[in-house]
Amino acid sequence: MTEHIIAQPMSIQRYKATIKAWCTDVLIWSYSCIVLFKIAYQQWWLDLRYVDFSWHEPLYCFVVAMVLASVLIYTRCSIGKALFGLITFKEGQSIFRASSVRLALVKLLLTFAAGLHVSQVSMHEFLSPSGLAGAQRIFSALLSPNFAIFEDALFAAIETVYMAFVATALAIPVAFVLAFFAARNLMKHSAASFALYAVIRFFMNLTRSIEPLVWAIIFSVWVGIGPFSGMLALFLHSVASLTKLYSEQIEAIHDGPVEAMTATGAHPVQVIWYGVVPQIILPYLSYTIYRWDINVRMATVIGLVGGGGIGTMLMQYQGLARWNEVGMLVIVIATIVWLMDYASARIRAHLK
Amino acid sequence: MPLLHAEHISKTYPNGTQALKGIDIEVEQGEFLVVIGLSGSGKSTLLRCINQLHTVSSGRIVFDDAEITALKGRRLRQARSRIGMIFQQFNLIPRKTVLTNVLSGALARTPVIKSLLGMYSAEDKQKALAYLDIVGLAQKAYVRADNLSGGQQQRVAIARALMQDPKILLADEPVASLDPSTSHSVMKYLQKINQELGVTVICNLHFLSLVRTYATRVIALKEGQLVYQGAPSDIDEQWFKTIYGEDAVEVSIN
Ligand SMILES: Nc1ncnc2c1ncn2[C@@H]1O[C@H](COP(=O)(O)OP(=O)(O)O)[C@@H](O)[C@H]1O
Ligand SMILES: [Mg+2]
Repeated sequence: MTEHIIAQPMSIQRYKATIKAWCTDVLIWSYSCIVLFKIAYQQWWLDLRYVDFSWHEPLYCFVVAMVLASVLIYTRCSIGKALFGLITFKEGQSIFRASSVRLALVKLLLTFAAGLHVSQVSMHEFLSPSGLAGAQRIFSALLSPNFAIFEDALFAAIETVYMAFVATALAIPVAFVLAFFAARNLMKHSAASFALYAVIRFFMNLTRSIEPLVWAIIFSVWVGIGPFSGMLALFLHSVASLTKLYSEQIEAIHDGPVEAMTATGAHPVQVIWYGVVPQIILPYLSYTIYRWDINVRMATVIGLVGGGGIGTMLMQYQGLARWNEVGMLVIVIATIVWLMDYASARIRAHLK
Repeated sequence: MPLLHAEHISKTYPNGTQALKGIDIEVEQGEFLVVIGLSGSGKSTLLRCINQLHTVSSGRIVFDDAEITALKGRRLRQARSRIGMIFQQFNLIPRKTVLTNVLSGALARTPVIKSLLGMYSAEDKQKALAYLDIVGLAQKAYVRADNLSGGQQQRVAIARALMQDPKILLADEPVASLDPSTSHSVMKYLQKINQELGVTVICNLHFLSLVRTYATRVIALKEGQLVYQGAPSDIDEQWFKTIYGEDAVEVSIN
């Protein structure tokens, strides 16, 4: 009787895993077909410069892949089966002797080869005489920086550091509060709070998945080009990142102090202040300083799209092809990044 | 009227584990009640149901004339504040001083804003120092709590519980992570609190030798059910095997 009950869900699980394995195989083989056809055959073998695209092609590939996967699912060559634990690897034997693993390696190699082709990797251009001459020109200019703009560069750099600092500082309180609502262990107890948790998580992930560079472009249209748009972009991205890091820290706390504070009859706010906050304060500081460090670097990049500071200056001189000035800016940027990196590492080491 | 009365309480965890299966207990004022049983028999669950860290699935618990299983919010917090609790892992607040830890026992009667700023009443501060004196740690008031030894940490936890002016003290295997001699010293403090301050104690224990020394009454749990109630001296070989299984041998801790 017991065996029967146990046996049934097992076979359902196996059934489900097989379906998943088949779907995985279909995806993998569709991908392989497309790469083989579009890149290996059309672009490389036929050497077509402009390849047409029609939606029939992926469709055909998909059909071919379905047929292939349906056949392979009965063999040991199915990558999907290996992934979902349906193939038992022989004990003591290198996994590279399994046909499914070898097949996966071939796919990896195919992707690498296709990647080389797509990135237009060419030793010929890398070492061409005109190319090398260009490289020599820019390097010698970079190495003889124009110190006349040193003051301007310094002020622009200070603008960048301040921008990053304000963005971080404004993000801290917002992220601090949001993190409690984005921590699973605090929010899982009722359906309403869990819904709030899910919504906040969703928006934070969405915000974070959009690069600050893109936010800076959006804000530069909104509030105009300059440090303010860059600051807003960094602020938004920092809120999202800090919320995630903070909430992960909250999720990793020991339950003990929380339980003890609850047991004293403390108010939920007191429970958080006494049971949760002392456990997270140091990692918080550490993450926040690290964030500032990252923000300084990002602020430089954001400046390239008009977010103000030294990045904007760099973009302007680069546009004018004034490499000696660019050289000066590069030195200032490198120094600041190095200083921030060093300082933040030292501070964080002391916080441990 | 007993101080605490649990009527037919059951607890099923969300994952389906039946930790308590219909338990009735009465605890009189002033008792030192010890709960024994194998690990997994439901001892911790029982204690956590008493102060509502876990809600019961059925049955009710009456504490100090109020049905604590029916209370919510502010009323529940007030009831909890009269029930002290100490834990196997001490559960002190890390990175905070011993004094701050003891004062946290007064949170329930401190306004939220004041407690966030660490402003406790002068009376509470004096009380905290006095209780630290009782557990023999007056010298350590300004030391960080996580720098103390296990036995000292547990004594801080006892002082914290005393700050609540509890009518009852729940102790969940308070000496399970301590060495034998420290165990006895901590148990002696619990005994002192029970006898001199008149606080009723309910204590989960593992070792029968400790049970015989400190308990005034014993109950035993097995798979979520009450299998024994009586005087500690009445636990003989026979009962021991019923509670701990046929193969168990008694180990003593001196
Ligand atoms: N939070 C929980 N969720 C699910 N099951 C639990 C939980 N806590 C305890 N249990 C289970 O309930 C039973 C009783 O546990 P517990 O009360 O901790 O026993 P004891 O303290 O006597 O060792 C055990 O089977 C345990 O696995
Ligand atoms: Mg336990």
